[in-house]
Amino acid sequence: MELSRFGLKLFATDPAAMQAKNFVPIFHSWIQKQAVEKHQLIDVHDYSHIHHGPGILLVGHEGNFSTEMGEGLPGLVYFRKQPAGTFEETVRASVKAILQAATLIEAEPGLEGQIRLRRDEFLFISNDRLLAPNNAASFEAIRPTLGKVFGASASLTPVRIATRDRLTIRISGVAF
Amino acid sequence: MPTWEEKLADRLEPQLAAEIDKFETEITLRKQGKLDEKVFAETRLRRGCYGQRYDNGHRHDGIRTQELQYNSDLTKGPDTLWDAPGMQRIKIPFGGLNPDQMDVLADLAEEYADGVLHVTTRQDFQYHFVHIDDTPAIMRRLAAVGITTREACGNSIRNVTACPLAGVCNTETFDVIPYARATAKFMLGHPDAQGFGRKFKIAFSGCRQEACGLVNMHDMGAIAVTRVENGKVRRGFEVYVGGGLGAVPHNAKLFEEFLPEEELLPTTQAISRVFARLGEKKQRDRARIKFLIAKLGVEEFKKLVLEERQTLQADPRWTDYLEDAEQYAEKPLKPPTFLNGQKRPEGFDAWYATNVYRQKQAGYVVASITLPLGDLSSWQMRELSTLARRFSGDSVRTTVEQNMVLRWVSENDLPDLYRELTRIGLGAPGAGTIVDVTACPGTDTCKLGISSSRGLAGELRTRLAAKAYTLDEAVKNLRIKISGCFNSCGQHHIADLGFYGMSINVGNRKVPHFQVVLGGKWQDNAGAYGLPLVRVPSKRIPEVIDRVTNRYVGERTANESFQDFLKRVGKKDLRAMLEDLTRIPPYEVDPSFYSDWGDPREYTIGDMGVGECAGEVVSVSQFALAAADGLVFQAQLHLEAGDYASADQNAYKGMLQAALSLVRAQWPEAPDEADSTIHEFRQRFFETNIWGDRYAGNKFAQYLFIRHASPPANHSGDHAHRVVEEAQLFVDAVYRGHEILAERSAR
Repeated sequence: MELSRFGLKLFATDPAAMQAKNFVPIFHSWIQKQAVEKHQLIDVHDYSHIHHGPGILLVGHEGNFSTEMGEGLPGLVYFRKQPAGTFEETVRASVKAILQAATLIEAEPGLEGQIRLRRDEFLFISNDRLLAPNNAASFEAIRPTLGKVFGASASLTPVRIATRDRLTIRISGVAF
Repeated sequence: MPTWEEKLADRLEPQLAAEIDKFETEITLRKQGKLDEKVFAETRLRRGCYGQRYDNGHRHDGIRTQELQYNSDLTKGPDTLWDAPGMQRIKIPFGGLNPDQMDVLADLAEEYADGVLHVTTRQDFQYHFVHIDDTPAIMRRLAAVGITTREACGNSIRNVTACPLAGVCNTETFDVIPYARATAKFMLGHPDAQGFGRKFKIAFSGCRQEACGLVNMHDMGAIAVTRVENGKVRRGFEVYVGGGLGAVPHNAKLFEEFLPEEELLPTTQAISRVFARLGEKKQRDRARIKFLIAKLGVEEFKKLVLEERQTLQADPRWTDYLEDAEQYAEKPLKPPTFLNGQKRPEGFDAWYATNVYRQKQAGYVVASITLPLGDLSSWQMRELSTLARRFSGDSVRTTVEQNMVLRWVSENDLPDLYRELTRIGLGAPGAGTIVDVTACPGTDTCKLGISSSRGLAGELRTRLAAKAYTLDEAVKNLRIKISGCFNSCGQHHIADLGFYGMSINVGNRKVPHFQVVLGGKWQDNAGAYGLPLVRVPSKRIPEVIDRVTNRYVGERTANESFQDFLKRVGKKDLRAMLEDLTRIPPYEVDPSFYSDWGDPREYTIGDMGVGECAGEVVSVSQFALAAADGLVFQAQLHLEAGDYASADQNAYKGMLQAALSLVRAQWPEAPDEADSTIHEFRQRFFETNIWGDRYAGNKFAQYLFIRHASPPANHSGDHAHRVVEEAQLFVDAVYRGHEILAERSAR
């Protein structure tokens, strides 16, 4: 499996604290500082007017960050667009990127520590319907790599298998 | 690794597959350095792959200009980096979609863009932040469901548009869809449409009086008409040519009162040939067919087209589709029903009042889906395709107002449909009202954007939606359309309240502004164009809306239209009413004026400074420019009064004054004499390219040169309107010229 397009999501502990509009100036400041390692950050887009959309989007060359509000579970989402080596290396690079972004958000002075993002649970979203369509076979193909990256304590459960949505895997019990 | 090419091999039409293969080869050749960047740029544009803002590798972050670091220096066009995100436009002829296509469009937005689908003002879809390497896969997956991106951009025949109510409209003469479809198919890739100097847009409308087709603003427009001949009803089209918005709008000219249906395709072909042969090729800003027709006159143009028509070899495709066209009718998914008194969900009545249109087929309705800023998410699109399968079948359309419609909904299904639309965030009322603001991408993604049209549109939408229930009926039905620059992609000319973006220097900072354009007419197929009134800082545009609409409500006479009201009050009075809104507080007092809507970055180039000398020059120049502004405004008043000669003279003098202001910035004693001003302006600013806009080049200077060299022999409303528009654009450009001088001086 040489998947390089996929997403990771971290959930906010307090959904009400994730106010989309707050992220417009924050993401702009990240571009000013090029704050995320190994990422060329490019632009910010406000999609907060769209239901179940990307919210506030920070566009990067390697991957995009956004404040997804979907399914009543707001959080921080990272979608990888460019490979960083093998699938495993790309997953590791993506985990590093979203964790760094989470730390930045939590330390953001303007938010006064109101936002906390859980590190013990991730969503993995395949974003390639050719290489990893939403079926059990794809889940089985992806599982070993995710197991390696997220560690033995992590439990992997597919959600929304065989729907038109993308293959989504809940990774719980993570202990980074 | 599997590829979409292999997976979809048996689902692509061979011709479409071959075209995409060819494009993929061209990508490879460009990567190997074997294809020139300019050639590749036109190639990709003809496949709908546009550049996007910051793709030259530079972006101002509010503090400084950053150089964006990509992995390679390869370009996909002049000054356009390969790895920089781009835009993919997708043609949807007449906006027609089925649920399978909607699913694929949703999937692609998610996998290759940012998860958002944007409906354009010409019924296309656009994806943003797409990598050029991904485009062949996008094209193959679209082609597998019968969608092409071919000729979505570039100097080609763009998406053929048509009224979204065609076939179900109560006032149409007949359903134009078979003709729109046949035209789109016949002209796609047609050899006679490959040699244009600029794009060519075609629209169809089923009737004259409604807005839907916007025929009057198209390069070629066809309105359905019939004629009785020998006791038999014959179908045909009232055909118009040479309309267009752009920087200076042109009204389309009547080409033929009744073009029989069998002549539609050969005539389109002949028009294409004449345009390809005689249209301007070098000067892009004069290359649309409207300029050719203005130069030749419509009668001469028609004569040439008819001569060309005689030389065409007969093509069976001209008429093959006609038999089916007569019989064409969509099949409803369900039997007709009527609202039967069932309990209506909360909010339903308001939505029904603005978003439901009762079809001519009793028991069926069209439900409009209001898309804020023309956007919907992939998730919403998939949910919508499910609703289409359940409620309306294959009959989905995008609209030029950046919405979508479900047609053939059995009326009694409406409450259920409304509940579902609300669940997926698409149940907002207000389709086609003042809340339903249209905007081009502007500074969000467009390389040409000057002000944030989407930012302003979002702000206005929020404010107006909050008071929608208290708005006077007369105001509710007005339309707001916003363009990020003078190029009219937001169709500001045909709005009741139109705005286009510009920037103005205040001290050593820049302030985003919008030019207020009032009185355009959406009805009657874009029946009239509005005229610029005054420039107002972006942050004060909501107050402009409030003042103008409040006054309209307060002072209008019974049943007085907005356009008639504006005429009665007059521009002078209207401008005086808004004059105080043009004032800008110093940055230290209110810095919010110095950033744009939805963008916290300071709009000005923060590291720019202005020396004392330049400061003085700018101050003198602003004085001279104010005089130019006054003359152009006087020209508008004369135009409004029907005094076309004075309108022309004032507009011309306004341009001369503006040019003189630039000349005097370098030579303060320059005489106020026309020939001298033209000579000095040409030598100092035009030939040196100092003044040339990066994208528009020196196009605005040509307005002055042409008017100076060729004063009109006779004065017509059309001509005067055009010169006044050109003068306004010229003065706007001179403002930018002074900014350039200030920047150079600072350096």
